Amino acid sequence: MDPLVAALAKATGLDKCLAAFPEDIEAAASQALGHTDAFKVPTSPAAEPWPPMRAEDAL
Amino acid sequence: MTTPLHWRSATEIAKAYAARTLSPVELLTALLERIDQLQPKLNAFIHLDAGAAMAAARVAEAELSQGRVRGPLHGIPVGIKDIIDVAGLPTTGHSKILVGNIAKQDATCVAKLREAGAIILGKLSTHEFAIGGPSFDLPFPPARNPWNPRHHPGGSSSGSGAGVCSGMFPLALGTDTGGSIRNPASVCGIVGLKPTYGLVSRRGVFPLAFTLDHVGPMTRTVADNALLLNALAGHDPLDPGSAATNARNFGAQLGRGVKGLRIGFVRHFHEVDLPAHPDVTAALEDAERILQAEGAIVETVTLPTLSEFAGVNRVILCSEGWSIHAPWLRERPQDYGALARRRLLPGAFMTAGDYVGAQRRRAELIAAVNDKLRDYDVLMCASSMDPASEIEDAAETARTYARQARAPFNTTGHPALAMMSGLSRNGLPVSVQFVGRYFEDATVLRVAEAYEQVAGWHKKHPPI
Repeated sequence: MDPLVAALAKATGLDKCLAAFPEDIEAAASQALGHTDAFKVPTSPAAEPWPPMRAEDAL
Repeated sequence: MTTPLHWRSATEIAKAYAARTLSPVELLTALLERIDQLQPKLNAFIHLDAGAAMAAARVAEAELSQGRVRGPLHGIPVGIKDIIDVAGLPTTGHSKILVGNIAKQDATCVAKLREAGAIILGKLSTHEFAIGGPSFDLPFPPARNPWNPRHHPGGSSSGSGAGVCSGMFPLALGTDTGGSIRNPASVCGIVGLKPTYGLVSRRGVFPLAFTLDHVGPMTRTVADNALLLNALAGHDPLDPGSAATNARNFGAQLGRGVKGLRIGFVRHFHEVDLPAHPDVTAALEDAERILQAEGAIVETVTLPTLSEFAGVNRVILCSEGWSIHAPWLRERPQDYGALARRRLLPGAFMTAGDYVGAQRRRAELIAAVNDKLRDYDVLMCASSMDPASEIEDAAETARTYARQARAPFNTTGHPALAMMSGLSRNGLPVSVQFVGRYFEDATVLRVAEAYEQVAGWHKKHPPI
């Protein structure tokens, strides 16, 4: 396992999970990167994320 | 020929109650026999509350016989997904983590059903915490597909789908964060609506992702779906995501047809982004022809790709889900099933920047869908790209579960309905999805009902 992934898992308090399910930790780190690579984050500073979800404001 | 009691819609049941040709006790007795017969094959229930349901049926029978009608759901049984609290019953989320957890009070949606006179039947199977399934390493077995119990019934509202489809009960509540009402609706061949975000209260529902979670109706007909939504919708000050909107009659437009309506067909979802199984594609083309023949104007439209929608949905879902599950994942990782653990852990490796970036892109995706809905009354597209796989084929289930076009509308919050559009060559349901403007759930139901009445798939039941 990439030592950085193991260090991150420990830093987030996942020591028990790392010991018992190291393959799940490794897969999770890899999936996290895959999901964030799937879309483009807006570059304009004016593109705000708030409110995170409120249907009535949208139309 | 008389329709067997277990295949009667809620609308038909209410009419029979009014005509005094059927009583709530008579109906419930028939449904409990049906449940007794089918539960060992389908595992729709985690907890059947037959005693309380029969007591409620007797009360409803007495009230109805005295002419005290609480509304169209009075005396009609409803199943509840087991992440939704029902006072005095366990809410387990189908997980070892919550075994022994008894709900202290009803979720708002359940309280509303009781006010409307509905009979709460019990708690239904789900994927673990509405994310991990179908799984065989949980305290309860997974639900199965009534069309062929060797196949999965979709999820995560799996017991809701299996139970409605098989005639155990006419109505059920599901929840939908990345497609979990519409997946079982699609592969079981029923009607599942994810309402506009904020239309139905989430209070008392175990969260998966705060800004993506929806509660909604699952039924065998579109008219029943509108009926159930009428009871569920409305502002709840105890749900921070609840919209300040007045509830309305979501069945008001049923029967008006689609003549003159403009429908945008998002073909690239199933033709380019995730090429669909030929039986799914053929059924979508049939649906288009039916709507055109009924007078709708159907034109091809383009939205951002499914991979972009899915990526944003997953980052938000994993980040918010991690914030909920982190304490248990740290201390009790062995008490999760493997699928839930693996699907929740990626959130631990996402940054605040990832989450905010996804929310910023989400706003653009919302604008893209709204832009199309300025020109079109409703969008139509695929729901599942494949019929249900065999439940014990974990690799094929993992491959096909991800091949869907439902998560876009959790990301944007628009109302989206999935329903049966045909049968595959191996006898399993395939589906179509309709999507509407915010709070125009009634228009989505109108189009769905117009399609349903011509296509007639709601009259087809599984051979179980």
